[in-house]
Amino acid sequence: MSRRIMIVDDSKLVRVQLEDVLKGTDYEVVAYCRSGEDAIERYDEVQPDLVTMDIIMQGMDGLDAAEIILKKHPDARIVMVSSLAYKDTFERAKAIGSKGFVDKPFHQEQLLKVFEEALL
Amino acid sequence: MNTVMTKEALAQILDQALQDVTERTAGVCLHQGEQPPGEDLCTVHITFDKGFGTSLTLCADTGLLARMACNSFHEDTVTQEDLEEFSKEYFNVLCGKIVRAMFDATQVSAHFSPPVFYHGRYEPEGQEVQFILTYADEHREGAQLIHHVPCAQEDRALPNEN
Repeated sequence: MSRRIMIVDDSKLVRVQLEDVLKGTDYEVVAYCRSGEDAIERYDEVQPDLVTMDIIMQGMDGLDAAEIILKKHPDARIVMVSSLAYKDTFERAKAIGSKGFVDKPFHQEQLLKVFEEALL
Repeated sequence: MNTVMTKEALAQILDQALQDVTERTAGVCLHQGEQPPGEDLCTVHITFDKGFGTSLTLCADTGLLARMACNSFHEDTVTQEDLEEFSKEYFNVLCGKIVRAMFDATQVSAHFSPPVFYHGRYEPEGQEVQFILTYADEHREGAQLIHHVPCAQEDRALPNEN
């Protein structure tokens, strides 16, 4: 059975890259949100197995959105996918309960490893 | 903390990051050359804050950026909106990789501003060019990665923080 992924990223480039990387794997992209607000609103409806969350987006950033989703759904599996691989960003992502961090640009192998660990 | 990085070391970081990200993101191989981009240009610009106070611009032939965007989006043509969005995200990823390499070399954590896109050439005010890396691809379209420093600091890539 495929794992259902919700992508939260305001970049078309990242959406296309994630779809490319996940093609032929056990992961299926079932929803695409362009903002943190959209992700919060749609999480209940989509009920994904895993969320990939960008950090810098128009409006609410991904860390704030992840924190809100995790407060309401403590079992949510959220992986941050961002070019902002700073120490303070890693620490905050970990503190709010995200399950992993993937740097852009990402490799398929690296991404799938983080996904598998997040879903354990 | 002494955080001076030489121009040569910084140029090497920029060069490796640009070639790697361009190939991985858009499937385009850029190699350093002498010929600058032509007249139909776009520029993307960011500034580094905290310990750096410098900025970086990518000035590229519109045709090159459009081809990179087409490759990335798997489309035959791209709209102006797609071109701008691609250019900003590509540069965002490139700068993220540069900042990580700069941190590894200096232990100074730099953040950078969201990329801003311009049609034509853009030159940041109050800053001067420290060095330029010029690239071309197999279609003889080109790009320049331009590192700017605050005026009168052109001999240093990074300020010396004590």
